[in-house]
Amino acid sequence: MTNSFDTRVRLALYREFVRTSEPPTIKSLAETMPAPADDVLAALERLAAAKAIVLQPESREILMANPLSAVPTPYRVRIQDRSYFGSCVWDALGIIAMLQSDAVLDTSCACCGEAMTIGVHRGHAAPIDGIIHFAIPAKRWWENIVFT
Amino acid sequence: MLLFRGEEHVDRWCTQWSQPRGATLTVDQAWQLADAWYRNKMNPDWRRATVDETENLLTQLGLTGPFWSLRA
Repeated sequence: MTNSFDTRVRLALYREFVRTSEPPTIKSLAETMPAPADDVLAALERLAAAKAIVLQPESREILMANPLSAVPTPYRVRIQDRSYFGSCVWDALGIIAMLQSDAVLDTSCACCGEAMTIGVHRGHAAPIDGIIHFAIPAKRWWENIVFT
Repeated sequence: MLLFRGEEHVDRWCTQWSQPRGATLTVDQAWQLADAWYRNKMNPDWRRATVDETENLLTQLGLTGPFWSLRA
């Protein structure tokens, strides 16, 4: 398979994820493209090796199509009538950036649980009281991206 | 990367979970970082940024020093 096939898989993955708010399975991606499921899985593995996406450890289905998370998290982005989850606050903001739309991020303080909301309107984040903490130095982010 | 109501909440969380104090960003800095990082992710010609490109981005956002260095 070629880079162009991997690009086709990546684009189909993201388009389906955004369209449905759900991560496509390997099987559904293969049907959408269409392409053999084994070829799609091989492309997903290459994309994961290139750190473009993250696969689940056993099933090899999508875990993160960064900035989109396949599993619910405390970072929910609402765009029009759709909701998406980001793996962290940076990724949640990244969903809004990627989709280039006004949006609201519903989350909470990681310490005390108080609800917090960040609105983005016309490319600007509304100012709120709050700070974002990075516990892991930048050069170590990909040592354990799920924790990061 | 976690969102907190303020510095004292970061300190409390680090103590509770025995995590070292890392670095903090304003929400606007994080938004600009996310925008630059992910804006083109659905484009056909998207590619992962190089170390040099990432370092330039971090520098533009005022994120400098050992914590933000990408070199071993």
